[in-house]
Amino acid sequence: MSTRRRRTQGGVTYDDVTGTLRERTVEAMRDPGLAANLRTAGTAWADQREVMDHDYGFEAMRDRAREIRRSNIRDMPALLTELQHNVRANGGTVVRAADAAEACRYIVGLARARGAHTVAKSKSMATEEIKLNDALEDAGLEVVETDLGEWILQLANEHPAHIIAPAIHLNKEQVAELFRQESDGEVPDDREGLVAHARTRLREKFAQAEIGISGVNLAVANTGTVCIVENEGNARLVTSQPRIHVAVMGMERVVANWDEAAHILQVLPMAAIGYDAANYVNLISGPRREGEADGPEEFHLVIIDGGRGALRGSEFEEALACIRCGACLYSCPMWRTVGGQAYGSPYSGPIGAVITPLLEGPSSEGSRDLPFMSTLCGACGDACPVGIPLQDLLVKARERSRSPEKTKAGWAFRLWSLMWRRGITYRFTIAVWRLGLRMRGKDGWVRRLPGPGAEWTRVRDMPSRWPPRR
Amino acid sequence: MSSVIADMQASLARRKATCEVATAATAGRAAATWMADTGVVRAVLADDPVIDQIGLDAALRAAGIDVLRWPVTLSRREILGLDGPEDVCGITVPTLAVAERGTLVLEASEGHGRGLDVTNRHHLSLLPADRIVETLGQALAQTFAPGRPIPSAVSLVSGPSRSSDIEKISTLGAHGALTEHVVIISG
Repeated sequence: MSTRRRRTQGGVTYDDVTGTLRERTVEAMRDPGLAANLRTAGTAWADQREVMDHDYGFEAMRDRAREIRRSNIRDMPALLTELQHNVRANGGTVVRAADAAEACRYIVGLARARGAHTVAKSKSMATEEIKLNDALEDAGLEVVETDLGEWILQLANEHPAHIIAPAIHLNKEQVAELFRQESDGEVPDDREGLVAHARTRLREKFAQAEIGISGVNLAVANTGTVCIVENEGNARLVTSQPRIHVAVMGMERVVANWDEAAHILQVLPMAAIGYDAANYVNLISGPRREGEADGPEEFHLVIIDGGRGALRGSEFEEALACIRCGACLYSCPMWRTVGGQAYGSPYSGPIGAVITPLLEGPSSEGSRDLPFMSTLCGACGDACPVGIPLQDLLVKARERSRSPEKTKAGWAFRLWSLMWRRGITYRFTIAVWRLGLRMRGKDGWVRRLPGPGAEWTRVRDMPSRWPPRR
Repeated sequence: MSSVIADMQASLARRKATCEVATAATAGRAAATWMADTGVVRAVLADDPVIDQIGLDAALRAAGIDVLRWPVTLSRREILGLDGPEDVCGITVPTLAVAERGTLVLEASEGHGRGLDVTNRHHLSLLPADRIVETLGQALAQTFAPGRPIPSAVSLVSGPSRSSDIEKISTLGAHGALTEHVVIISG
């Protein structure tokens, strides 16, 4: 199986992305196929959201979801202790990892100790964040993503474009071509045929894998249960077929009890895909019990801090309430224009623009520009099922960012305000500007401006006299 | 017919599962007929009293379907359908079901494998009508009630497996069952 391009340890953003955020954004906008795919996806999501609100009163469900997640974040340390205690009581092993390196070290060590060769994975943003696949592949293991979209990306050597629908930017002809390369033979052309083909290829991997690695959507503290939500059935195979199951979660996934979990488990598919239930919800409380004939013999739960703990009590605390549904991505005019890959982080869209720099630090080159990937229109805050005020957090994240571009713009604005505060300097700059426009203009329009004005004339003309000529 | 049964039927239809209502006397034959029509050649049965009560074993044998009981002694490749017949049907008995969402609650136990409904191409579930509750909240509260032993794994299953990962269009039969049929046993 192909390996993804190398990334270094430490950061959340991908190490192999090229160019600046601005360059990647411009490049993505030049891809007409991508724009069409994203538009279709965004529209379908919005239509289904309306259905959910009409049929189930989704708006009212959001309020309770918000309250639940607020209290979870407030009580997080105690809930994690309770979770840890109960998972152990159920026969599982719990590991608290301070950072990505620690989590990867534990899982690689486990794979080595058990003599594993093949790892079957179901979709997990947390493992994408800690770059677990690279760590396992470096240790000589074969890692197979079994979620159809993630497998397609693994074959394409690409990163996910969306939290829920990772391969949203590829069409079926592109998928068929990737399958043809992987299997070295005939592959059907229709969608049903492609899905059936992937099913058989991946079952071969399920038959081999000694370790199954999954993410966690929610962990219920009072019974020590992890909930894994999915539609394909691959997560169930990952958690039932291999001898060992490792579940990886960010520490903020914890909820207190089943009353809370029942509510969030209903809100999640409604917000994510606009349907009232996911096909499969796997509620796992430890390894197989004595006398049971299937299920893993070992269950390991890895709980990652990775910078999350420090956000509690900060002005960004509410970002921890996120249930990773992807609704803010679909709602965002920026994301719908450029897609997820331009962000260069496993977490794209508004929530990605907020949390990636929080997890990496304000000076990180890979993510310090991300909070500026927004028009601050507020659609993300409206879409969020747990009421995270994403537009406010984006503004706060901008204040915190130490981006050179932001510093430059800051100085320019300071100079501008200094000049325009006095009548004489104001009139002087206007006169210079007018003269410049007139000198450069042709037939009343300037088609290209130098320096800071170039951004304006890249996509539109500037009138050289007022009122502009028709 | 009671309203929860009607709700369950409507929700299952929405989830692209098929459903019929039978009595304890007719359920075995109904299940065997559906399987024969679907082309099932082998059935893997959960070891559950409900299955014995409706005499499913005999009904299946009469229909010429090979019958295995959980736990099976098949190889992992056979369990996954890579070796042996393709048209195998896993037969489950839910502990509860959610009418509002068309969800079956399947608990892992000695007689009930975790993967029974997803490893096989087809899934048939035998649901006693008195196990249907209205909401997911009620089902989870009962499943994880204080004092009750915590099951090692519970699967909430709402319709056949599907994926929308290619062009965002829902396609059935991704990793789990391609078909799901529920026989509600009432009376």
